[in-house]
Amino acid sequence: MFIGAIGCEPLQLARVHLENSRSLDVYRKNGGYQAIKKVLDSMSPDDVINELKKSALRGRGGAGFPTGMKWSFVPKDSPKPKYVVCNADESEPGTFKDRYLMERDPHMLIEGMLIAAYALGAKTNYIYTRGEYRYLIDIMDVALEEARAAGLLGNKILGTEFGCEIYTHTGAGAYICGEETALLSSLEGMRGHPRMKPPFPAVSGLYAAPTVVNNVETLTAVPDIIKMGGEAYQKLGTEKSGGTKVWSVSGHVNRPGVYELPMGYDDMEKFIMEDCGGMLGGKQLKAVIPGGSSVYIMRADQIIGKDVRMDYEGIVAAGSSVGSGGFIVMDETVDVFESTKNLTEFYKHESCGWCTPCREGTDWLVKVFKRIAAGHGRPEDAQLMLDLCDNIEGKSFCPLGDAAAWPIQSAIKRFPEDFRKHLVTSIDSGVST
Amino acid sequence: MSTEVIKVNINSKEFEVPKGARLIDVCRDKGFDIPSFCYYSDLALQASCRMCLVRIEKMPKLQTSCTIICTDGMIVTTQSEEIEKAQRSMLEFLLANHPLDCPVCDRGGECELQEMTFDWGGLEERFIEKKNYAPEKYLSPMVANDPQRCILCKRCTRVCDEWMGEDAIEAGGRGANTVIGTYGGWLDCSQCGNCIEVCPTGTLLDGTYRHQARPWELAQTISTCSYCSDGCEMSLGSRAGELMRIVARDRYVNGHNGEFLCIKGRFGHPFVNHEDRLRTPLIRYKKGGKLIPATWDEAIRYTAEKLKAAAAAYGPDALGVVGSPRITNEANYALHKFATEVVGTKNYAATDAFSLKPFFDNLGAPLATHRDIRYAKTILLIGGEPEELQPLTAKQIRQAVSNGAAKLIVINSVPIRLVEHAAQFIHIRPGMENAAVWALGHSSNETTAAQKMGIEANELSALRQTITETEGDVVIMFGGELNAAAQMIVAQLANSFRADTRRVLLHPLPLYNNSVGAHDMGMMNGAMSVAEMLDATGSSIRALYVAGSFLPEHLRGREEALAKLDFLAVHELFETDTTAFADVVLPAASFAEIDGTFTNNDGLVQRVRQSIPPVHQAKPDWMITAALAAELGKDFGFQMSASAVFREIAERIPAYSGLRYPVLKDESNPVQARYNIVEPRDLSSALNELKQTVAALPDDGEKSNVTPRVGHELFKIGTLTDKVSQFHLLAAGNPRPDTVRVSPLYQITVDAKLERDAAVSGD
Ligand SMILES: Cc1cc2nc3c(=O)[nH]c(=O)nc-3n(C[C@H](O)[C@H](O)[C@H](O)COP(=O)(O)O)c2cc1C
Ligand code: SF4
Ligand code: SF4
Ligand code: SF4
Ligand code: SF4
Ligand code: FES
Repeated sequence: MFIGAIGCEPLQLARVHLENSRSLDVYRKNGGYQAIKKVLDSMSPDDVINELKKSALRGRGGAGFPTGMKWSFVPKDSPKPKYVVCNADESEPGTFKDRYLMERDPHMLIEGMLIAAYALGAKTNYIYTRGEYRYLIDIMDVALEEARAAGLLGNKILGTEFGCEIYTHTGAGAYICGEETALLSSLEGMRGHPRMKPPFPAVSGLYAAPTVVNNVETLTAVPDIIKMGGEAYQKLGTEKSGGTKVWSVSGHVNRPGVYELPMGYDDMEKFIMEDCGGMLGGKQLKAVIPGGSSVYIMRADQIIGKDVRMDYEGIVAAGSSVGSGGFIVMDETVDVFESTKNLTEFYKHESCGWCTPCREGTDWLVKVFKRIAAGHGRPEDAQLMLDLCDNIEGKSFCPLGDAAAWPIQSAIKRFPEDFRKHLVTSIDSGVST
Repeated sequence: MSTEVIKVNINSKEFEVPKGARLIDVCRDKGFDIPSFCYYSDLALQASCRMCLVRIEKMPKLQTSCTIICTDGMIVTTQSEEIEKAQRSMLEFLLANHPLDCPVCDRGGECELQEMTFDWGGLEERFIEKKNYAPEKYLSPMVANDPQRCILCKRCTRVCDEWMGEDAIEAGGRGANTVIGTYGGWLDCSQCGNCIEVCPTGTLLDGTYRHQARPWELAQTISTCSYCSDGCEMSLGSRAGELMRIVARDRYVNGHNGEFLCIKGRFGHPFVNHEDRLRTPLIRYKKGGKLIPATWDEAIRYTAEKLKAAAAAYGPDALGVVGSPRITNEANYALHKFATEVVGTKNYAATDAFSLKPFFDNLGAPLATHRDIRYAKTILLIGGEPEELQPLTAKQIRQAVSNGAAKLIVINSVPIRLVEHAAQFIHIRPGMENAAVWALGHSSNETTAAQKMGIEANELSALRQTITETEGDVVIMFGGELNAAAQMIVAQLANSFRADTRRVLLHPLPLYNNSVGAHDMGMMNGAMSVAEMLDATGSSIRALYVAGSFLPEHLRGREEALAKLDFLAVHELFETDTTAFADVVLPAASFAEIDGTFTNNDGLVQRVRQSIPPVHQAKPDWMITAALAAELGKDFGFQMSASAVFREIAERIPAYSGLRYPVLKDESNPVQARYNIVEPRDLSSALNELKQTVAALPDDGEKSNVTPRVGHELFKIGTLTDKVSQFHLLAAGNPRPDTVRVSPLYQITVDAKLERDAAVSGD
């Protein structure tokens, strides 16, 4: 498996190959904890937020919300405590970058969180991981202990007046607990159900206090932004998508792995065919899900010869989105009906059950898929599925409902032949690319 | 909500609405129908059913109108093709895994899902897949659960949490497998059944009424609860002379309790048609002999003769007349009239646990209504245990605290469950409530009182500060622990605490459904209390005429008292410890069989309405008293009509003046009696008296640190709850049965203990 940067100097992955990369020593010897020092020595919280804004860093958890802007929403004058929560739930199918970042360079996350805590005035901070990442908690706990012993955590960090704590916490392994408000419910000890927005967590989050929830990769980008300056970081990428992005590549390529690319990397076809070592066994590319399961699936002909730039705008223009950066490559042997059925079963299993359309819609859709797979497909089933998706999309309580609908909608529209095979007669459902 | 007005445009019409108004409420108020399941006013927002979708200009998606607060200039569409498709599809989703067998569902005919399906359901079912299945089961003797019918609106879990403070049920599982369940498989809670009441589907069901009747067979009668002094409005469902169930459903009733009832109000009715009900009048011709059935004429004649003879021999004051806080105003009024105008005795009283006469005689502020309690800013609770004894009051307190940010201050010797919601808990030694009132009466008493109560003096000054810093309503509540002087001081506290921005309202916590009414009818004005009369039997009291029975606490230690009487006549529903000594027992009609009124602890005068004909030969209490009066030569002029009795009450009792049954017709607009609010009183002698009381209190005493178990007072409210077999199970600690699976319907036969029906047992 490949881990490394292509097309840029590694930032996020700068230390992952070093021996003992987890240790405080190695982190420090390789530029670690200099950003927090710089912040505490010479920057005000507002300065930090300004650098973040200049960096054009967008949240890496999936929604791509500008991080500097999110931080600036936290009401400074609120008498309540403030919290920074690291979303290390990483439950999006096809996504495994956060796990490598934490496993190999835990101090980078700690430093990012310290800077965030300083910028937002948070004294208590949490790292929330999915239940299956128990072993990562152990790694993080060791790193936190090291940092504490070195005066990088607790009171008077680096001898300054600034102090804060970071705690780890695991969920029980529910996809919905990656959604930030459900994560907060779970962190508070309640059922992992999402909460109503507004109020957004920045205003009323953990224990109804202002809270910033950021993905691991978002937070690990922060030390480099501080060190090189927001502008320099932005310039690594494009105007609206600053910096570099870590992709989790899986599927039918010769070299799956964790790839750091500059934002705006040119282009997706080259990435698959050259950087990732080309298609496994020399087969034909059939489809790509570029951003974790919750985005539109792309046909090969939306990629081949289309010069798809790998950043937020570029992939949207090509008909999908960056999402979590879980880049799933599928060759000609894949039946998109089957792969979509598989994903729908995932969403059905993970629907939290709070709202009607997602709970009942995913259950119904899975039953339709299973019936078709068992050979009882009816010509009208494709239309039925599209209609059910339409009844879910935009009507669910949280985005999981949408996320369940999009793969099906795009799969039926972009791979009608794969569905047609399973149904008695053809579908004429306005195939669009 | 502010008085500021903003403009919203709904379906191309402009409306002015108060700032802060919720869109769904505004739309409905303006006549635009919005379907909903999960929205429930005054409960936490859920926004999960997604039925209430509307289109709001400048917003990207359809919006749930239950979560939207109107803003000025908002442009809203509630009806369009897009919206209708969305709403129909939500209903289609809800019905996908739903059994859709309304004919065999206990909620059929009064189900919100069924009604909504008529309006928004499709003609064809597109769902041709296998439906998910989850077995039915009993969650407790009261609550049955058929999870397949659940639409996960979570009204049930929210009322359990927010109204009851119990949090006893929660969703388990995930996604389409989510079911409402309990922690540990068996429901250990107050068994109020409010989760059943608010459930819009046939999921949570009354376990005691399951498969007993269909709603359309029931005659629904709006009446008032016969248990506690909160006076919940309720709907009595009867069929062919049998009371089948009680609900508070607001489609039938819209009283001050909304859809709330407690376990007693909802489930405590089996006494009405119980086989032990007295069938005929009974006469014991010889002391020590048997009670022998008699006709009404014989019984009335016999009683009249005996009373006349006793009065002739010992004078009228040797006759005691005893009313009851359980029976109607009409009944107590008739008894009072009988005592004063027919017998001419000064010895009459009602069998209440304590008298509120000193409180009402010195009333210095209006009584709080339950609505006032919900919106109060500060609530001071001195003694009492409303969560057991006045459950609606407790619910209002909880909601005031959790939904309205009110501050609750509890003064109690026991950490009652409400303490969990308290901003301040003043944990006093047992029996020290009077000392607390003495300290409230004057700040100079605080130090001494604090010492007695075993608390810090600054706890009392903190309490004083909370009250004097309140803007809005302060409600002061008190239980039966206060003596006469303390009641007087509480009644007058408003004079020291009210301000321009602060109202002080009072809320007494008597125990019984008509404690206040019995007081109002004058039954507490007699020369002797009930206990004093019992102590005087055989000497100054020779005969007693009693409606209802003596309380166990009255008879405790006075087991011989009734045997010493020359004559005892009793109106009763059942044979009791009191009738055991009676010479005549007259079968009375229960609240379900009569017309009348009860007055609750808000001073609301509410209607009791006849739901079924009197059982066997029972008669309304006032009618029995009137017959006895007639036999003794006095025509009460009641003309066999309860409304005539009430008209006379309204003429004679100033607080009730102007009231008539038609004025009390609408339970959604309850009428409060107009109690006289007295000029500020000189409290020095009361304070002095209290000082003596406090000085005599012991200087030590163990404070309890044990929070009382839910339901520990369930039986306090009298002999009637005794007739509910399920209550015995609860009293025995609500044991978890081996198996509660019910498929095919597994019956739990509960008759003091749990018994399996052999025919359907087995898992
Ligand atoms: C169903 C669902 C699952 C999600 N799972 C994750 C996750 O595993 N990790 C993550 O960082 N963000 C996840 N998100 C996104 C978060 O809600 C949130 O946007 C993100 O944590 C914000 O951090 P960022 O601004 O740094 O991206 C998920 C969102 C949804 C709707
Ligand atoms: S869309 Fe609804 S049911 Fe699905 S995960 Fe979100 S809240 Fe839960
Ligand atoms: S009966 Fe009452 S206390 Fe028990 S679960 Fe239902 S609502 Fe909660
Ligand atoms: S049991 Fe009834 S009230 Fe509770 S969630 Fe289900 S449908 Fe709603
Ligand atoms: S709270 Fe009181 S009035 Fe209401 S149902 Fe219970 S006992 Fe009856
Ligand atoms: S009523 Fe608005 S979502 Fe249920």
